[in-house]
Amino acid sequence: MQGSSDRGPADLTQLQATMQAIEIACSSIQNSQVANARFQAAAAIRDAAIREWGLLTSDDKKSLIRLDFAAAEKEAFMYEVKQAVLGVHGVDVQFTGINFLESLVSEFSPSTSTAMGLPREFHEQCLKSLELEYLKTFYCWAQDAAVSVTSRIIESHSAVPEVKVCTAALRLMLQILNWDFRYNTNMAKGAKPSMDVFNDGVRHDIASPKRSECILVQPGPSWRDVLISSGHIGWLLGLYGALRQKFSCEGYWLDCPVAVSARKLIVQFCSLTGTIFPSGKNLTSLSLPLIISSEMLDGCRALLSMATVTTPTVFDQLLKSVSPFGTLTLLSTLMCEVIKVLMTKNTEEETWSWMARDILLDTWTTLLIPMHSIGENARFPSEGINAAANLFALIVEAELRAASASAFNDDEDSQYLQASISAMDERLSSYALIARAAIDVAIPLLTRLFTERFARLHQGKGITDPTETLEELYSLLLITGHVLADEGEGETPSVPMAIQTHFVDIVETHKHPVVVLSSTIIRFAEQSLDQEMRMSVFSPRLMEAVIWFLARWSSTYLMVPEECREDNCNSGYDHESWLRSQHSRKALLSFFGQHNQGKPVLDVIVRISMMTLISYPGEKDLQALTCYQLLHSLVRRKNVCTHLVAFDSWRELANTFANGRTLFSLHSTHQRSLAQTLVLSASGMRNSEASNQYVRDLTSHMTAYLVEMSNKNDLKNFSQQPDIILSVSCLLERLRGAARALEPRTQKAIYEMGFSVMNSVLVLLEVYKHEFAVVYLLLKFVVDWVDGEIIYLEAQETAIVVDFCMRLLQLYSSHNIGKISVSLSSSLLSEAKTEMYKDLRALLQLIANLCSKDMVDFSSDSIETQGTSISQVVYFGLHIVTPLISLDLLKYPKLCHDYFSLLSHMLEVYPEMVAQLNNEAFAHVLGTLDFGLHHQDTEVVDMCLKVLKALASYHYKETSIGKIGLGSHASGFKDSDGKFQEGILSRFLRSLLQLLLFEDYSTDLVGIAADALFPLILCEQGVYQRLGQELADSQANPTLKSRLVNALQSLTSSNQLSPTLDRINYQRFRKNLHSFLIEVHGFLRTM
Amino acid sequence: MSDEEHHFDSKADAGASKTYPQQAGAIRKNGYIVIKARPCKVVEVSTSKTGKHGHAKCHFVGIDIFNGKKLEDIVPSSHNCDVPHVNRTDYQLIDISEDGFVSLLTENGNTKDDLRLPTDENLLSQIKDGFADGKDLVVTVMSAMGEEQICALKDIGPKN
Repeated sequence: MQGSSDRGPADLTQLQATMQAIEIACSSIQNSQVANARFQAAAAIRDAAIREWGLLTSDDKKSLIRLDFAAAEKEAFMYEVKQAVLGVHGVDVQFTGINFLESLVSEFSPSTSTAMGLPREFHEQCLKSLELEYLKTFYCWAQDAAVSVTSRIIESHSAVPEVKVCTAALRLMLQILNWDFRYNTNMAKGAKPSMDVFNDGVRHDIASPKRSECILVQPGPSWRDVLISSGHIGWLLGLYGALRQKFSCEGYWLDCPVAVSARKLIVQFCSLTGTIFPSGKNLTSLSLPLIISSEMLDGCRALLSMATVTTPTVFDQLLKSVSPFGTLTLLSTLMCEVIKVLMTKNTEEETWSWMARDILLDTWTTLLIPMHSIGENARFPSEGINAAANLFALIVEAELRAASASAFNDDEDSQYLQASISAMDERLSSYALIARAAIDVAIPLLTRLFTERFARLHQGKGITDPTETLEELYSLLLITGHVLADEGEGETPSVPMAIQTHFVDIVETHKHPVVVLSSTIIRFAEQSLDQEMRMSVFSPRLMEAVIWFLARWSSTYLMVPEECREDNCNSGYDHESWLRSQHSRKALLSFFGQHNQGKPVLDVIVRISMMTLISYPGEKDLQALTCYQLLHSLVRRKNVCTHLVAFDSWRELANTFANGRTLFSLHSTHQRSLAQTLVLSASGMRNSEASNQYVRDLTSHMTAYLVEMSNKNDLKNFSQQPDIILSVSCLLERLRGAARALEPRTQKAIYEMGFSVMNSVLVLLEVYKHEFAVVYLLLKFVVDWVDGEIIYLEAQETAIVVDFCMRLLQLYSSHNIGKISVSLSSSLLSEAKTEMYKDLRALLQLIANLCSKDMVDFSSDSIETQGTSISQVVYFGLHIVTPLISLDLLKYPKLCHDYFSLLSHMLEVYPEMVAQLNNEAFAHVLGTLDFGLHHQDTEVVDMCLKVLKALASYHYKETSIGKIGLGSHASGFKDSDGKFQEGILSRFLRSLLQLLLFEDYSTDLVGIAADALFPLILCEQGVYQRLGQELADSQANPTLKSRLVNALQSLTSSNQLSPTLDRINYQRFRKNLHSFLIEVHGFLRTM
Repeated sequence: MSDEEHHFDSKADAGASKTYPQQAGAIRKNGYIVIKARPCKVVEVSTSKTGKHGHAKCHFVGIDIFNGKKLEDIVPSSHNCDVPHVNRTDYQLIDISEDGFVSLLTENGNTKDDLRLPTDENLLSQIKDGFADGKDLVVTVMSAMGEEQICALKDIGPKN
């Protein structure tokens, strides 16, 4: 600020004071990391600066940052800042000026206001004016400032103060480009192509998730001149090129601030447009030298940015003008180098190569994903295909080498393993994209690698340790699975586009490369059935990969039904090539179809599955894969089931499961899943009778065991033996699995199954009341069984089931009410609490399931004929369960969710039941409601608001026709101590208003809050008026006060709102509340 | 199930067999297991492999059901573990004697007087306070491998 002191006419003391203030401010600007402090310091400087020129202004900090002082002041002030930034007053002032602008931008760049406590409305206003009027100006100043010092930096051979300025300016530019441009985004969309020389080369479909961050810069079209035309990108590249020459000099190094800023800015420009490099050698010079460095990483990021905004063809063309090879080749070469480095120096410390690999993989993924989704493979440059082929070969080599090197590592840390598995899955998907880009080469390559390894296993059998080969095979199976098939995620995955559109010239289907590869692997898997081979070769881990592969492969290729074969992915093809690809696809699918190799292959798969369940005792992971992935994916398709139930192998599996003891050694959840699978396969039976008989055969032994056991007189004596507990638990899990597999055609058999054990369930609940694990299984079985059955039950059956459920609830409640667990161990106590929570959740689900009978009912006559009233059931059930639910237990999110969903459902459908609740139960319900209203979970709050709406509207409707509605609950009453208790509706009116006006909530809630608020206001007009008055009185500022009063007024009067609770009025009130909140929120809330 | 599994071994003396063998892979969280000759509740089970291509083994973390101490064990998952026979019986609490014993009413009308109150202050006060308040208390006694301890109490309504 020396410069300004020259001009100041002020007296000495004032000047000194100012100087002092500035010094402090400057140091805090430089040292403080807190944006707020920096801003205040900057504001203080400005304050001082303004005072110097005698322009009177208030000391009020807020008025300073309002960029709306009187026009003259503002102009003068802006002029001064500009002078400072442009370096008129010297380097230090320039630096401070830039920092000031930076703090100004950073104060307003987030959409919420910072701790400075400015009202939100004002914040928005500043944000808008800054974006529309000042950002570009600031940007130009920063640019000019940087340009002005460039020559000094380039000329000098050691560090000069100008470097500091340049760094700050670059940082400011970067920050401005990172601004979240909002006010002309609609123009920005149209603007992007115009900023690019290749009009058709720009993509608009950027939505793929990434491992590495890549921010898109989207300023409006008005920025075009500044960013593109002025040629300062060239200047920036020049600057960086000069900086690189200086890295050897004193004061500069690879990661010195100015270099880092420059690189970041270059990356940012890359995402602006892919064509910024006027001469490609800059790019080459940026990324090719393989120095172990952050420079390399920034080069990779630049590539990623460019890939994000261009199509593959354009991307490839970028370098063509200046070099003999395209960008894709560069990318491939670069990645190969990175992978080679990874192969040779596999140390944990060298993280840069991992990062570089991930960024480059992302670049590939960005380029390849859209192509695969629309099948545009033809448009991928042929040079790129070669590049991809080379790269894939190297990737596989690297993976195999890594696999054999790690074969003897004993990874103990299972958590770390889990994380690395999901990362690996992502990586494998990227590899698969690269492989599919060069599918002609990739498939034969994989086949060759497999064959080699199989041969090696056979030759070395019994002679050499196969572990390394096993690990290589493990890795190959994973890669191949990803290349050949996509993950279904519940849907039936189709054959990948690349495979469909290639290999069209294959005449003999069995020579189709994909068929060859698949058959090779299946033949290998089949060898696991041989015991000797299994012992020597098929380790549990290798078997896991085999099962995983079979599951993934079979859902894409095995017996794909005819109708699924015709899909409409024919965009982008001419008719002839489409026909040819259809032909190739048909040939491929029919090879593994039901009339060809499909059946033998399916049979092999079933036999392998059964073998893993029996011959790998205790291998939980392997068996989990078999049960959940492989078998589940098989029975999901009906046409596969038809064949399954006809196989001897499948019947043997069902028989072993139902009548033998071998499968009792499986983990009990796996048994549940297996039961589910077996029952689901009944859909392959000819008709409903056959299906029901099949299910009966499957379950009759199990239910008979339970019934016989529960009828024993000495049950009490032996029931606690661990082996009996194990049997009971396994059987309950199996029955639960069967119940979950219910389908309309097996409904009868499943009902009989549950019906036959009803009594036993109650007996067991009594006997095992202290055995949490069994109690929980009992409850869960009933929950799932009722859930599946309830909608189908006839009136009489419903009455039986409801009666059974009520007895169950009562029995459970009598065991657990008032029970306190005592234990020395705090962890055992918390376990006991968790157990309680899980039980309660099951009970709530049971009640909710019973409720659904009122909503969906497929039975022939009304349940009322048997005198069953669901509302009575629910009322009764709630009376049993609510005393068990404490606020402590509601801290379990799932229980909380279930409880409130049940409550909201109940009160919406049967509000009259609530009025009948006794005071204690009512108070309990309201206490939980109060808790729920202030919950963080939006859904919970939403459900509580629905409860309030139901309560208030019920009361309003009842009282308006002269009934008592909620009676004393609503009007308030004197409690036993003679104190007057406020009515619940006015209490909730107050807390809801409080919530809406002053607390944090999601805007999604406003609609439903309006629905609750409207009847509450109608019920409690007087209270509402009083609250409104209090609110207005608390507002000191008269302008705001009148705004508030008007807003309150129009909330209840505009839009012709009338005091009846119909749909139209609810809608009107929703609108009113929206505009009310928009009007008052800005000044009522300060954060 | 074949027929021989259909009869239930009800031992004449309930305490005859203190433990039963069970495959390690079938033992779940919340079940019981014997670790270092102590009956434990399983609070954590994880599996790992002996070497990448070796067999699975289970890692159990158990908490001694009587003294609350944490114990750990690693067992190949196809091998058998011992599972303790844990019994819980409800008795009505009749009296708490000066010398730290409780008097309990058994199902057949006799009293059981050989059970000590827990030594831990906290547990002790929970039982004593409840009793002193005149509540009608039912205590649950857990027994396993020759040891016994009160593990829960329940208020079944005020004394008249």
